[in-house]
Amino acid sequence: MAGSQDMFDAIVMADERFHGEGYQEGYEEGSSLGLIEGRQHGTLHGARIGSEIGCYQGFAFAWRCLLHGCATEKDSKKMKALESLIGMIQKFPYDDPTYDKLHEDLDKIRGKFKQLCSLLNVQPDFKISAEGSGLSF
Amino acid sequence: MKDSLVLLARVPAHPDSRCWFLAWNPAGTLLASCGGDRRVRIWGTEGESWICKSVLSEGHQRTVRKVAWSPCGNYLASASFDATTCIWKKNQDDFECVTTLEGHENEVKSVAWAPSGNLLATCSRDKSVWVWEVDEEDEYECVSVLNSHTQDVKHVVWHPSQELLASASYDDTVKLYREEEDDWVCYATLEGHESTVWSLAFDPSGQRLASCSDDRTVRIWRQYLPDNEQGVACSGSDPSWKCICTLSGFHSRTIYDVAWCQLTGALATACGDDAIRVFEEDPSSDPQQPTFSLTAHLPQAHSQDVNCVAWNPKEQGLLASCSDDGEVAFWKYQRPEGI
Repeated sequence: MAGSQDMFDAIVMADERFHGEGYQEGYEEGSSLGLIEGRQHGTLHGARIGSEIGCYQGFAFAWRCLLHGCATEKDSKKMKALESLIGMIQKFPYDDPTYDKLHEDLDKIRGKFKQLCSLLNVQPDFKISAEGSGLSF
Repeated sequence: MKDSLVLLARVPAHPDSRCWFLAWNPAGTLLASCGGDRRVRIWGTEGESWICKSVLSEGHQRTVRKVAWSPCGNYLASASFDATTCIWKKNQDDFECVTTLEGHENEVKSVAWAPSGNLLATCSRDKSVWVWEVDEEDEYECVSVLNSHTQDVKHVVWHPSQELLASASYDDTVKLYREEEDDWVCYATLEGHESTVWSLAFDPSGQRLASCSDDRTVRIWRQYLPDNEQGVACSGSDPSWKCICTLSGFHSRTIYDVAWCQLTGALATACGDDAIRVFEEDPSSDPQQPTFSLTAHLPQAHSQDVNCVAWNPKEQGLLASCSDDGEVAFWKYQRPEGI
């Protein structure tokens, strides 16, 4: 009698078993697809942040050269803000996306850049390249 | 309670438009108003009535949201939805726009002068707070751009005696800033309101800060320094701010403005239910846990939302208010007997 009970169990529990197996397969497939999608998203997002900061750095280096040798008090304030921005950019941990103050530091860099533009009397509204892939963040 | 707030005069300050904000000059002789008609008007008394002494009209392309007088009374700043802040210099009854501060990405929501007169703060829907320095030659320079808030910043106000700045935002928080090693930093965030914080006011001593919100409450906050007597925990050398009182159940709509009288300590509120209310601290209450009583409640003070209330800095009990109905009203407040 024990044998026929196992057989009925197998039939009755089949639905639940298939459900479980299906869930497991789906979960594993979803996880690996998610990993790929996440990686793509991370790459894109990281590239955006990188290019934004890169832009600020290029801007700052160029202005540092332009202001080099100027001695007025106003210029020294500009230089101070410039050096501060360059310092912040250099200290930024590019290889650690889990850095807990990532967005806070990024906001500080953006704020310093805006202040610098105000001091230099420049509009911070860069649109680069003829192909239409403008640099706007 | 009805007689504690009596109407003195009403003027159609910004006809067919909203009147957004009011500011008394430091001498208490002039009132500046600004509105949706893109103008700033200066009001003064002539005998018993209030008349318009000047109109500042060529300054802005859009609504003027706030105005603020410099501590010396010779300059007026106007913050506008056109993303600029104009600085006007007073020459008798004439005002001349001497500088336009640009930089915000969109609507400037507030402007405030520091008590020293050397610093100015502006804030905007672009979520940032800017600190500007002005030198002897009336040249303005941006000294800091603070991106601490996560949403639209509605109001900025300076501490009455220290170089300490506070901001209120759509992100439900109040943030405090000070200068540290040549740069401005956010050193405290006040959480507790459940919705947009619309306005702020320091008490006369600067030890307490009042905030009002879309959550229909007014909260009073107090600063505690490290090693304080009350045993309030502080992290490191930073002061800690605690909410020591919440006024709830008094307002039926959003509270748009709160004003703390520097002469008497009375607290006035401007509410979306068209009413003006005044609160006074109970003299016997514990300074660490104060209680406030409602001493005046005037429903239908205006025919629409009251946007601003402002105590005259020299004349006790003189209160001005303005509304979406475009009018400015002047009131006499007298603390009721027996309270």
